[in-house]
Amino acid sequence: MQIITNNRILGYSATRSLGYSFTRLLGYSVTRLLHLPVPTFPYFRLVAYILEAENLVKTFGTTKAADHISLQIPEQSIYGLLGPNGAGKTTFIRMATTITQPDSGIIKFKGQRLHEEHALHMGYMPEERGLYKKMSVIDQLLFFAEIKGMKRSLAKEEAVKWLTRLDMKSWAGKKLEELSKGMAQKVQFLCTIIHRPEFIILDEPFSGFDPVNADLIKDLILELHTQGASILFSTHRMDNVEELCEFLCIINHGKMVLNGESGNIRRRMFKNQYQAGYLEDKNFSNNGFEPISTERLQDGRVIYTFYLEDNKDRERLLQSCVAEGGLVLFTEDLPTIHQIFVDTVTAES
Amino acid sequence: MKKVWVILKREYLTRVKNKTFIWMTILGPVLIAVFYGAIFLVAARDAGDKTPKNILYSDESGFFRGRLDTIMNFHFTPAMVNESENLKKVSSGEFNAYMIIEDHDLSRIDSVKWVSRKTMSILQQEKVSSWLSDKVYMSRLQGLGIRQGVIDSLRPKTSISTIEIDESGLMKNSSSGLKSGVGMAAAFIIYLFIFLYGSMVMRSAIEEKTSRIVEVIVSSVKPFQMMLGKILGVALVGLTQFATWVLLSMILIISITTIFGSNVLSQAQTQNLPVGGPMKQQIPMENDMFMAFYNLPHLEIVLIFLVFFLLGFLLYSSMFAAIGAAVSQETDVQQFMFPISLPLIFGFVIAQTSVFQDPNGPMATIFSLIPFTSPIVMVVRSPFGVPPIELMLSISLLLLTFIIFVWMTGRIYRVGILMYGKKPTWKQLGKWIFMKN
Repeated sequence: MQIITNNRILGYSATRSLGYSFTRLLGYSVTRLLHLPVPTFPYFRLVAYILEAENLVKTFGTTKAADHISLQIPEQSIYGLLGPNGAGKTTFIRMATTITQPDSGIIKFKGQRLHEEHALHMGYMPEERGLYKKMSVIDQLLFFAEIKGMKRSLAKEEAVKWLTRLDMKSWAGKKLEELSKGMAQKVQFLCTIIHRPEFIILDEPFSGFDPVNADLIKDLILELHTQGASILFSTHRMDNVEELCEFLCIINHGKMVLNGESGNIRRRMFKNQYQAGYLEDKNFSNNGFEPISTERLQDGRVIYTFYLEDNKDRERLLQSCVAEGGLVLFTEDLPTIHQIFVDTVTAES
Repeated sequence: MKKVWVILKREYLTRVKNKTFIWMTILGPVLIAVFYGAIFLVAARDAGDKTPKNILYSDESGFFRGRLDTIMNFHFTPAMVNESENLKKVSSGEFNAYMIIEDHDLSRIDSVKWVSRKTMSILQQEKVSSWLSDKVYMSRLQGLGIRQGVIDSLRPKTSISTIEIDESGLMKNSSSGLKSGVGMAAAFIIYLFIFLYGSMVMRSAIEEKTSRIVEVIVSSVKPFQMMLGKILGVALVGLTQFATWVLLSMILIISITTIFGSNVLSQAQTQNLPVGGPMKQQIPMENDMFMAFYNLPHLEIVLIFLVFFLLGFLLYSSMFAAIGAAVSQETDVQQFMFPISLPLIFGFVIAQTSVFQDPNGPMATIFSLIPFTSPIVMVVRSPFGVPPIELMLSISLLLLTFIIFVWMTGRIYRVGILMYGKKPTWKQLGKWIFMKN
């Protein structure tokens, strides 16, 4: 028998976010005790946010691309910004990276009002990729490091380090147009992080990557994360979100519809459903539990889904499932981020 | 400012390192020399075409009967009565041309038809027409009983050699033709560079926009800084190319003068004699183009050229940059390019008419002050000498316009580079200027 638990990363993020909740609570109670307003007195802000947005509004003509968006991105977290196409993700990112200004509302970077200088500590990879075709890989990396204010000598060191790391050193002098697409995308990623940003913003980072390169980039992202970088993902690829993001926020039509720690959100959306899997059909005729749906998987397993009025009954359910004989899987049916996303977005419209 | 520098450096280095650029810079002067050489060669050959031409002619007036025989390399033969027979002879190649003199009273010279397989060159046309009218003119005068000697004395050949004298009495050979030539050449270089390098700025903006690099850059560099760095970088590329051309040409000229001797130069220097002594010695009579060239106000011309070259380029390329940022693909630029190029072309028209008529006249003065035409008109005027006050005013106006325009185009650029899709209208561009961030 095998009981499916959260995968490694989710488990890891769950403990991390628990830590956040705790410190946040502590910070809040300390300030409450001293009768201090929470956000205005930075010394008591025990939870540090890399980016905070308060009531952001941005309109283009008659469309509201951002409609009172408020969110906090904790430092050293991986934060997922989800939404269908045209929901306002890019608009939000452009405001966060100082490319455009909100019509109203406040953005703070590490507790300070967002300022142009802050953009130097950010690394932004837009969804639509692009580099200078006629420029060599190394020149490209140095250019992007330099416009972010990095010293040339340091940038050189860093560029060589990364290129060696990715086995691309022999490509340093090649022009971009001579590179394969996957190779160019690796260069693009390096251009985003070469100046060691504290805050990395990735718009659909895995689109266009083959699985091998996608894994490579994912590992790099996790590595940068453990080294202390905060990461904002904007994506509609849910598998990545599930795997990587500790926090997430769903926006649709410029409005925020859901926001929180991804583990919490999944738990919050739990609909008291459990799944039991067997390698053959079962009829559950004499145990008092009736499956609400049956699903036959390609690998031969049959998955039955049960709904419980009261979660206290789940031990009895497990026992009766065991009693059926041949149980290979038993798990609570937490909705995937994908389901949550689709549900919230369709409920919205 | 540091970011402008980083952008500038990139724009400059990627272009200067480009192989096409290196070849053009080295071969440019050679190619131009070869090109002009070829033109002169063809023109000279055309003018000196001495191969005999057989011309058939019919003369309805009867005036030329017996008078037309051989002029230079044209051999005239009276035509048959049968018109189609005559034409056939030309079309078959037996005769080079068939000339029909239609007019009876010969009062008009344009009533001559010339049928040939190849269109007559302007030089030939001039030659034949002047010869025919000369014949008529002479015979009329002779018909009035005037002797040939009197006729010749009535038509003196005059040529003016122009000499400038300044307030200190110093006299110099000068040539207004040469001055116009130098001015036009300088203006043409400016025109060429504005378009060549202006469109380079535009293409660069389009490239960054279509490849979406711009989004990464504007997250750390202000669009205005980006545009400024781009314009200045490309301007520097233009200056580099121009300086290299000048340097290479100078090396060419110096090596030629050392090969063919330098006495021409020393002659020119001694020609500038002060007033005093017998008149005959004072006035430099030798009408030497070289000396006229030597006597041009070189320093002023070069300085005016550089200032207007740079400012003119900056003004126009800021507009080019804004267009590049506003459109999403290169095919959309035409609609915007035309209105921008108009003032420059108009500047040339003014230069060829008003400036040549009177370099310091009101038209020339006005258009050398207007910022959009001044980079052309003022430079054409420069060899003739321009009052310093006008020069200062013109430069200040150009500078001021550049500052205003770079602000406006910077605003368009800022909005444009993040806008995709349909190409904008002029009205939208105007709106973008006043749009908030």
